[in-house]
Amino acid sequence: MKTKEEYLIRYKDDNLYCELADIWIDPSKPVKKALITHAHFDHFTFGCEEYISTRETAILLKERVGDNIKIKTFEYGEEFKVNGINISFHPSGHILGSSQIRFIFADEKWLISGDFKLQKDETCKQYEIVKTDYLISECTFGLPIFKWDESNKIANDISKWITNSPEKTSLLFCYSLGKAQRLLNEISQTNFKGNIYSHGSIHKMNNSYKKLGIDIKDTIKIENKKKIDELKGSLILLPPSLSKGSYLKNFKNIQTAFASGWMSIRALRKRSGYDKGFPISDHADWDGILEVVKRSEAKNVFFHHGDSEALSKFLVEKESINVLVFGK
Amino acid sequence: MSLKNFSELFVDLDSSNSTNNKIEVLKNYFLSNDPIDNSWAIYLLTGKSNKRFISGRYLKNLFSQIYEYPEWLIDTCYQKVGDSAEVITLLLKNQSTTRKKKLSNISLNEILSKTIPDLSKLDEDEKNLQIKNIWETLPEENHLIFNKILTGTFRVGVSIGLITKSISKLINIDEEIISHRLMGNFEPSINSYEFLINKNINLQELNSKPFPFLLANTIEDKIFKNSINDFQFEWKYDGIRMQLIKRSGNVSLWTRGQELVNESFPELVEKMSHIKDDFVLDGELLVWNFKEQIAFDFSLLQKRINRKSPTKSIQIKYPIIFISYDLLEINGRDIREIKLENRRIELEKYFSKWQNKTENNISDIFKICDLIFPKDWPDAATYKEKSRENNTEGLIIKKKTSIYSSGRKKGIWWKYKVNPMQLDAVLIYAKGGSGRRAGLYTDYSFALWKDQELIKFASAYSGLTNIEIKELDKWIRKNTIEKFGPVRSLKPEMVFEISFEKIQISKRHKSGIAVRFPRITKWRKDKKIIDADSLENAYELMKKTL
Repeated sequence: MKTKEEYLIRYKDDNLYCELADIWIDPSKPVKKALITHAHFDHFTFGCEEYISTRETAILLKERVGDNIKIKTFEYGEEFKVNGINISFHPSGHILGSSQIRFIFADEKWLISGDFKLQKDETCKQYEIVKTDYLISECTFGLPIFKWDESNKIANDISKWITNSPEKTSLLFCYSLGKAQRLLNEISQTNFKGNIYSHGSIHKMNNSYKKLGIDIKDTIKIENKKKIDELKGSLILLPPSLSKGSYLKNFKNIQTAFASGWMSIRALRKRSGYDKGFPISDHADWDGILEVVKRSEAKNVFFHHGDSEALSKFLVEKESINVLVFGK
Repeated sequence: MSLKNFSELFVDLDSSNSTNNKIEVLKNYFLSNDPIDNSWAIYLLTGKSNKRFISGRYLKNLFSQIYEYPEWLIDTCYQKVGDSAEVITLLLKNQSTTRKKKLSNISLNEILSKTIPDLSKLDEDEKNLQIKNIWETLPEENHLIFNKILTGTFRVGVSIGLITKSISKLINIDEEIISHRLMGNFEPSINSYEFLINKNINLQELNSKPFPFLLANTIEDKIFKNSINDFQFEWKYDGIRMQLIKRSGNVSLWTRGQELVNESFPELVEKMSHIKDDFVLDGELLVWNFKEQIAFDFSLLQKRINRKSPTKSIQIKYPIIFISYDLLEINGRDIREIKLENRRIELEKYFSKWQNKTENNISDIFKICDLIFPKDWPDAATYKEKSRENNTEGLIIKKKTSIYSSGRKKGIWWKYKVNPMQLDAVLIYAKGGSGRRAGLYTDYSFALWKDQELIKFASAYSGLTNIEIKELDKWIRKNTIEKFGPVRSLKPEMVFEISFEKIQISKRHKSGIAVRFPRITKWRKDKKIIDADSLENAYELMKKTL
């Protein structure tokens, strides 16, 4: 049995850290060397001396924060060495470029799942099952009440929601990077054939996806002061940050919705203030996490991101898997 | 014509904040479904009877038993979701079976009039098996409705007013008529629905039913600009609002919640049936202190509300009175369109006639409300302040020229309530909320000082803004001393101003006092716990009101 200090990867200052390689994973403060699992802002911080990520993540990051960062890139599956440790990125299915990171040192395998999902998503690479001894998994939706519907079902619900109110403008709030493109891809395969507009921040990411060879539907960049009649019956994709405040005053006769896994719970839906919630997530649901734990064949599992108490207890009781807790 | 349509209706109503939208959705539902299903839909939506067939706890245990699911896991999920029916619905998604969904076309009527009532005829094992069977053969999108009906927790943001409006639009008849038809018991049947949408108005059918109640609004400042002589002033009693109806010799007692409560108050029904005239009276039912001629506390009234066929000794122990403040119909003549001041004259006239002519004395159970005559508005405020002395909640102010319309019409009646009592107390426990507040700590307990100790004196969950709730929730998670199930004991640090309506001695509570309608009125971040009030301050308050 190892002590916490002997783990290859451990928590240090609330971040995942590999001391042997002096390398941090998605650090929340500036460090020397940072591995970045994907280009969402809550996994990135300015000021690191060097970033390492997949090629796609690097391109998306630069689109978002500018060229002023030093990023070394690798393809999925390509191994590189830091202080004798073999490191490689593997698709995690979360968004374009997102990855799990595997560490191999002295015959011991460690896998950091990153944010991941197993569900179908044509805008990024499918999650790859990677075998490991130690697994550090995210646990955002670590309760069995989270069970995702097929994404085409949700897309059809969205399509119906729009077409059932032809006199209204439908505002769908979703994260600019990843979720928006996945939704566009799904919605373009439904019966909804009206105009789709997207906010500048989303439009930019759409273009980046296209440059990286992902085929998604063209949308019109939404300008302020559009004529109301023009927008009737169409769909506008907006980032959630605009749902509160004066931005919505630009529109008349609207209906609003939020696309997020949390929307599967009625209380959260009601509290969110949106008219409607579409439960679709780029994170794994309960079954997804369990499947990854099992198929990774990990003997030891850690959880981070989210409340993992119930999931840990369940794995220990029902599946006899050794769930470890990081010392802070 | 199926349960599926009703499930869709529920989703549509649940995901709309617009009244017009909801009315449209309802109208369309009524147009495209069977009368019998429509009837059940109205029955469910108006919450006329939320009968509980099994408890939420039972549902959770059953699920745990059938699918070998740990109970602690279901409980953890419950804390996030806040509704047993919904938790089980979400968990059922993990139990998808390949069995044929033979219940896909089951009607709302069949579920409600047969499937669910039949469950109670079965013994426990059979019942459990049958519920499992329904779960596995009912399409997934209907699980929530089924579980909610089963546990008697079906609720959606639709008021009776909204149903009234949509039916009124559907058949193009005045809302008042529909509102009247929807009053009282509503037995779901083809007939009851067809009666509701009947375009011919038949007064006889409406005979035993009450008129829609006229409700008072909170006082507005602009009223003080008017002459005091334009208004009638009454005490605001803290009882049960009722209409006392006698038509064709039959007396019926209707609460504002549209319940017929003749059985709970037989002595009143008996006495009033001896009056020769027919009438509809609006007023308040109270448990009355005849010696002092004031109302007893509401808690005594509670002893009578839910008790059907009370014994003589209960009737003597908790003597009731009906205090009428309005006459709406007399001997078949609807006088709601007459000015209030003239209705008052009629009321007084008939009251004295009934008092003098009735063989049995009605004054020990029925009276009309006394009027108050303040000289000016400051004088009215003085009356209001005195209202605690006679156990009333303040004043009701009514425009003398007003007619009796329905609902919370503006500019007719106002309630001028006495300011609440307040104490500053320390937050000591928090519990997870349910329903829309699930996942947040929203039920709080507060304490007052007794020497060096903090003694719990009230629990409250309303009064904070959503932003404050979130902020406090964060603080609670960081400042928990101990967890007992869903309850956390907290570091005593936060002071809140708690307002309440009444304070009285209670042997059941450690503090020795109980307060009515406690609510948070201010987060006193400016105060330290040492500044919070003591139990002694509470006793002082109580003395003042005795």
